[in-house]
Amino acid sequence: MNTQMIVDSVLVLVILLDLAMLAVSRLATCIRLFALQSLLLALLPLAATTGRGEIPGLHEITVAAGALGLKVILLPRILLRIIRTGEIHQEIEPFIGFTASVLVGAGLVIGSFAVTRGLPLPVDRISDFLPPVSAATILVGLLILISRVKAVTQVVGFLVMENGIYLFGLLLLEQTPLLVELGILLDLFVGVFIMAIVVYHIRREFDHMDTHLLDTLKEA
Amino acid sequence: MSVLRALTVLPEAAVVLALPPMLMSVIAKTKAWFAGRVGPPWLQPYYDMLKLLRKGTVYSRTTTWVFRAGPIVNLAALLTAATMIPVLSGDVLLGFPGDVVLVAYLFALGRLFTVLAAMDTGSSFEGMGASREVTFGTMSEPALFLSFVVLAVATKSLELSEMVGPPLAIAWKSVGPAMLLVAGALTIVLLAETCRIPVDDPATHLELTMIHEVMVLDHSGPDFAFISYAAALKFMLLGSLLLHVALPHAAGWGAVGVLLRLLELGLLAVVVGAIESTMARLRLNRVPLFLAGASVLSGLATAIVLVRSHG
Amino acid sequence: MPNLLLLIHVPLAFALLCLGLPFSWLRLASLAAGAVVHLGVVAWTWWVPSVGGTGAYLGLDPLGHLFLTLISVLFAATSVYFVGYHQKRLVSQRVFLACVLVLLAALSLVCLSRQIGLLWVAMEAASLAATPLIYFRLGPRALEATWKFVLMNSVGIALALLGIFCIAVSAGASEGGAVSLTVSDLIAGAARLDPVWLRAGFLLALVGFGTKMGLAPLHSWKPDAYGEAPPPVAALLAGGMTLGAFTGILRVYQICNAAGLAAFAGFWLMVFGLLSLAVAAVFIVGHNDYRRILAYTSVEHMGIMAVGIGLGASGSYATMLHALHNTLNKGVLFFLAGFVWRTYHSTRIRDVAGMLHRFPAAGVVLLAGLCATCALPPFGMFFSELGVLLAAAEQSRWWVVGVFTFTLAVVFVGVMTAMLPMVFGDPPVAAAGEAVGPRWRRTAMLAPAGVLALLALALGTYQPRAVTEALAAAAACVSAPGASERVAVQDPVEVLP
Repeated sequence: MNTQMIVDSVLVLVILLDLAMLAVSRLATCIRLFALQSLLLALLPLAATTGRGEIPGLHEITVAAGALGLKVILLPRILLRIIRTGEIHQEIEPFIGFTASVLVGAGLVIGSFAVTRGLPLPVDRISDFLPPVSAATILVGLLILISRVKAVTQVVGFLVMENGIYLFGLLLLEQTPLLVELGILLDLFVGVFIMAIVVYHIRREFDHMDTHLLDTLKEA
Repeated sequence: MSVLRALTVLPEAAVVLALPPMLMSVIAKTKAWFAGRVGPPWLQPYYDMLKLLRKGTVYSRTTTWVFRAGPIVNLAALLTAATMIPVLSGDVLLGFPGDVVLVAYLFALGRLFTVLAAMDTGSSFEGMGASREVTFGTMSEPALFLSFVVLAVATKSLELSEMVGPPLAIAWKSVGPAMLLVAGALTIVLLAETCRIPVDDPATHLELTMIHEVMVLDHSGPDFAFISYAAALKFMLLGSLLLHVALPHAAGWGAVGVLLRLLELGLLAVVVGAIESTMARLRLNRVPLFLAGASVLSGLATAIVLVRSHG
Repeated sequence: MPNLLLLIHVPLAFALLCLGLPFSWLRLASLAAGAVVHLGVVAWTWWVPSVGGTGAYLGLDPLGHLFLTLISVLFAATSVYFVGYHQKRLVSQRVFLACVLVLLAALSLVCLSRQIGLLWVAMEAASLAATPLIYFRLGPRALEATWKFVLMNSVGIALALLGIFCIAVSAGASEGGAVSLTVSDLIAGAARLDPVWLRAGFLLALVGFGTKMGLAPLHSWKPDAYGEAPPPVAALLAGGMTLGAFTGILRVYQICNAAGLAAFAGFWLMVFGLLSLAVAAVFIVGHNDYRRILAYTSVEHMGIMAVGIGLGASGSYATMLHALHNTLNKGVLFFLAGFVWRTYHSTRIRDVAGMLHRFPAAGVVLLAGLCATCALPPFGMFFSELGVLLAAAEQSRWWVVGVFTFTLAVVFVGVMTAMLPMVFGDPPVAAAGEAVGPRWRRTAMLAPAGVLALLALALGTYQPRAVTEALAAAAACVSAPGASERVAVQDPVEVLP
């Protein structure tokens, strides 16, 4: 197994985790799957640079460590804590059923492979799977975001989408300044933190975390 | 076909024909071991079949010729498929470009007649089993076909013995992840098509939860022997397909390769037995999700090989 | 030339002060002081002519300078308004006021950043600072509005990030090595950008920042957020944050323009703009909640700005003029909305009729604001909308002219029939006896609104040469990037750690 194959397999695993998140109904499992996906993504830049025979630089290590601490440890802990204190464990049947959403997700994955084939990839890349996998992850994140009822799952959907964007950003790892990347991570953290607070308030206000009761504001 | 070729292939064919009940026996032994029992003798499936073959058959007056044709057509279809699927060595009796489609449809034909025979009895239980069988069949068939597509694209061949033969070892190097996905999809297809846990429980005693077993309740004597043998044969065929994809042998391993395959088939049976002993059957409404997973895996693999083979 | 970092540090310092000060009036004073000092620094940047090269992280080009000034004026007015608006029973006033100042700092950074990655970070920081402001009234309705705001804006801003990445990929096409994401470098090297990725990047950025700006069909959070947030916060969002998001779109548009994709970018801007106009026209008619009507007028005005930029060089001056008057106008109207809310405690129009009888001054200002938002002369929006229309006609884009005129007419009728009773109608009997708080409060609320309204009227009737020049420079900066680069640049060493 050469590095290329390891990187490819990791990317395929990322897609499988996307689809698994569409399939599971337990919120805690969903959050853990997200943490696993983030772990793979955090280690990917290190694996890629090592594979090229280089020693990962400060930039790669900082970004990987930031992603690791934030998306693998901190955010899943916050989310797990919310569902534990809220005693809510199960996603109720979503607007789109589990089987249907897996099939839609698979369609999105294949669609992203088809679409990104036509895009030229100018920069020195880690793997040619990277654009389709990142597009698929973004789309699956959006799918989770719009098709699920629980506020926590919607947050997970947003985070999955963010993972996809992070993956796309790996294409540019050497080209973007560290400052901006850390800013992005920080913004992500604060964003999810605020979301978590809002989720907490939703639970206190309505005694559950279903967003379908958030529909009093509409056109008269 | 030259005489020489026939001489080399025929002994293998004989072994292949004799093998399937043995695999069932391995599964039974494994399950017994997990349960802490000794289990039936190794040759029990053969005894059972011999006993059934000596018995007469009972046909309900409401059934027609379809009911009688069911087990025979099913067995015939699978035997024909067996001539095209490499089992131990990479050689097959019959092989031509496009045979992969025929193989898939032979499996479908066998299923069709089993289902028709079940419905011919007019029993509501068997009708229910038939309906489930068809439902799950329609969900596992796309996975099988998509897997074939992946193999065809990766090896640039439409002949089954080539598609799972030496070219595959090269394909593993370039599109390894896709091959892993196909292996995963074929595993699910194997479990579903041969009515194993977690899709179906072959040892269940409740007609309401059965799928395959409930369809063949009314068959007796030689007919039932055919059905049991056909089920074992199907397990072996799909299993060896899976093994050829998952663990490709390089060309020229000869007798060692054949022995290795025999060992691998035995191990596969042990693994299936272990799955049956440790897992529970899925709730019926979660089965479609499981089967859709197979299609998704092979669909993803298709996307990957298409990108890689042209990229 | 003052240090540009002052524009960020000053509000942040006063935000910290707000968190620390023990008394409510001290904190309000700190907010006002922060905003006014900020305005002072901005005035200083106009006073001292700026010079400089290109390529660093922070800088003031004419576009950023114009928007920065508008935002600063709006915040200064709002900070005064808060003195009258605030109430003792507000929970955690510290956090609220600090968030307002952080929002000001973040929006200043948006206007100052010369690097689109940094711009993104600043924009995200702005929307995060705005979230607690929207949830400030507590309760289920505010919660729902906040959740929609957070979720839609997070998704939008994430897509904008993806768009920025796409632009970076397009820049990597030729260079391979390190890619500079500063606007000036991207414009300078625009010819070598990969067009496919640049198109993708523009569309994603348009959708992303468009969500934040409130362009249809991604506007759905807007009526909820503006309707549920405290009205002065809605003023900050409608007049300030939208400008920040618009800056994001304009930066990307500048790059596309330089790369020769102006027609492509313009087309999509017009599509989104006209759609926003149509959506506003559909939803304004027959509404009875005045704050949601104002939110839809904001959607409408954002649509006009998008169409104006989409029309290219001839429409961009009108767009800048519109941005100016939109900021002033949204300030006036939402300040008045806050006044009405404080006075009547109702959001329904039939409960708040007859302002002219009860509070003549407020009634007059409200009337002025309504006339301005419906683009009646002599208010400036008349000229800016006319400018957009003329630009469309000049290019013989008759379908734009048609949709534009029709929707504006519908919006005019919708807003006027709904809101004129607020000014002229008979005051409701039940509300007549209600206490309306001390006089100084009303004065503190009405004075900023009046000042902004007068400013709008004055600029509409007589536009000083300096203002025209500033607007023209900003417009030229968008429509002819590179030609009019007059960027004052900060030393990057001070920014990077």
